[in-house]
Amino acid sequence: MIELHSVTKAYRTRAGDHVVLDRIDAMFPDQVSTGILGKNGAGKSTLLRILGGAERPDAGQVVRHGRVSWPIGFTGGFNGSLSGEENSRFVARIYGADVDEVVDFAQRFAEIGEYFRMPVRTYSSGMRARLAFGLSMALDFDTYLVDEVTAVGDKSFQAKCRAAFEDRSERSTVIIVSHNMNTIRKYCSRAAVLNGGRLRFYEDLDEAAEAYEAVA
Amino acid sequence: MSGAVATLPRGELTRGLMAQLRVVHALALRETRTRFGQNKLGYVWALLEPLFWIGTFAGLFEVADRGTPGGMAIVPFLATGVVTYELVMKTANKGSQAINGNKALLFYPQVQTLDLILARGALELATYAVVFALIIGGWAFTVPRVRIDDLLVLMNGLLLAGLLGMGLGLVLCGLNVLSPTVERIRGPLFRPLFWVSGLFFTAESLPKQVRDMLLYNPILHCIEMVRTGFFPDYHARHAEPMYVGAWILGLFFFGLTLERRVRHKVQLT
Repeated sequence: MIELHSVTKAYRTRAGDHVVLDRIDAMFPDQVSTGILGKNGAGKSTLLRILGGAERPDAGQVVRHGRVSWPIGFTGGFNGSLSGEENSRFVARIYGADVDEVVDFAQRFAEIGEYFRMPVRTYSSGMRARLAFGLSMALDFDTYLVDEVTAVGDKSFQAKCRAAFEDRSERSTVIIVSHNMNTIRKYCSRAAVLNGGRLRFYEDLDEAAEAYEAVA
Repeated sequence: MSGAVATLPRGELTRGLMAQLRVVHALALRETRTRFGQNKLGYVWALLEPLFWIGTFAGLFEVADRGTPGGMAIVPFLATGVVTYELVMKTANKGSQAINGNKALLFYPQVQTLDLILARGALELATYAVVFALIIGGWAFTVPRVRIDDLLVLMNGLLLAGLLGMGLGLVLCGLNVLSPTVERIRGPLFRPLFWVSGLFFTAESLPKQVRDMLLYNPILHCIEMVRTGFFPDYHARHAEPMYVGAWILGLFFFGLTLERRVRHKVQLT
């Protein structure tokens, strides 16, 4: 579970402060997977990083219960000159997990074959995402933060990810940010729209879709 | 999952400390692979660079027919100076690049700038300790008998040199985020230190006025400590570990404050 208490974040630009998160109060309870919709640049990724703790809010408080993943997506988190295996070892170590188990699981889940032992910089973005997903699945988080999964891999890999999330829906929660309603529908039971620094929750996905249409 | 996090018995502080140690350990292991890219020759270079300086200055001392202060053997005299100096500089250098070289890692919330600096610093310290041992070990073959006076004092000098480099690296790292110019002026700014840190003189051998001035430089203190530890008949009366310690504390305090101020400017791509 993650709680936000009047979380505020602004970026300084030449044109003055640009407020991306404006005193947001929110609750992400256990076992309720939430989708966060927003246009490009609405601050979705910033929100995700603040939820995960990689970035600090300018004001307000973030309370996390349980283990929260890093924002999983296409980018970040890997050293390009190290192989997928070495990167997996590193991540296993910083999370205090069994290194061999994690490496083994990530390799099987990612299905990137020989590339697992080659430098990550030789990967396509899809392969990076596969590795990131495999790794995060190996680590058993209570809350998974997912950034723009829409195009991760082919159909069968998407199905695999969904199955993996469904598999652990008893113990894990997913928070997904996306600008695509279809993605949200696949994974989430409720959604929120991030617009103009405010986050509005909708218990009904159709309502959320409508609200999103209105601002997008 | 068999996570150490879940099984740790004691309070928050222990848990935090263990988590940090785990991160620094993982980072250090990683850095050993990436310090010079995939090129293992990089470690040879860490040995060759000090050897080059030692060779050059040994040659110059020979040509100028100049003796070492107090008749110290030339190789360890230069090695204590050059290796200690290189340790400070390379650690500061590596530290200043910590964010630039590892932006991807700041994605993981438990990885902080300080961890990157500590990991890189620990690796440099280990590297240069080995380099020093190799140079002295090689030299030992050419002399009948080697006696190291006080290994603890020597190691303490190297440790303080490493910490000093980390402190400098932390500050530079923060400044780098503010302005890329810092990286460009760092070289010229630090270069004079090569001549005033006691690589080829001892504090004892200087006239009082010059000495009092140069003793503001903490690197000189470190080198003097290493020499005191190495040479049985050299005792640097002016080396103050506490003075170096004050510098280290000051640099870490300033560096961490700066890091907190500029952290939000780091673009996590």
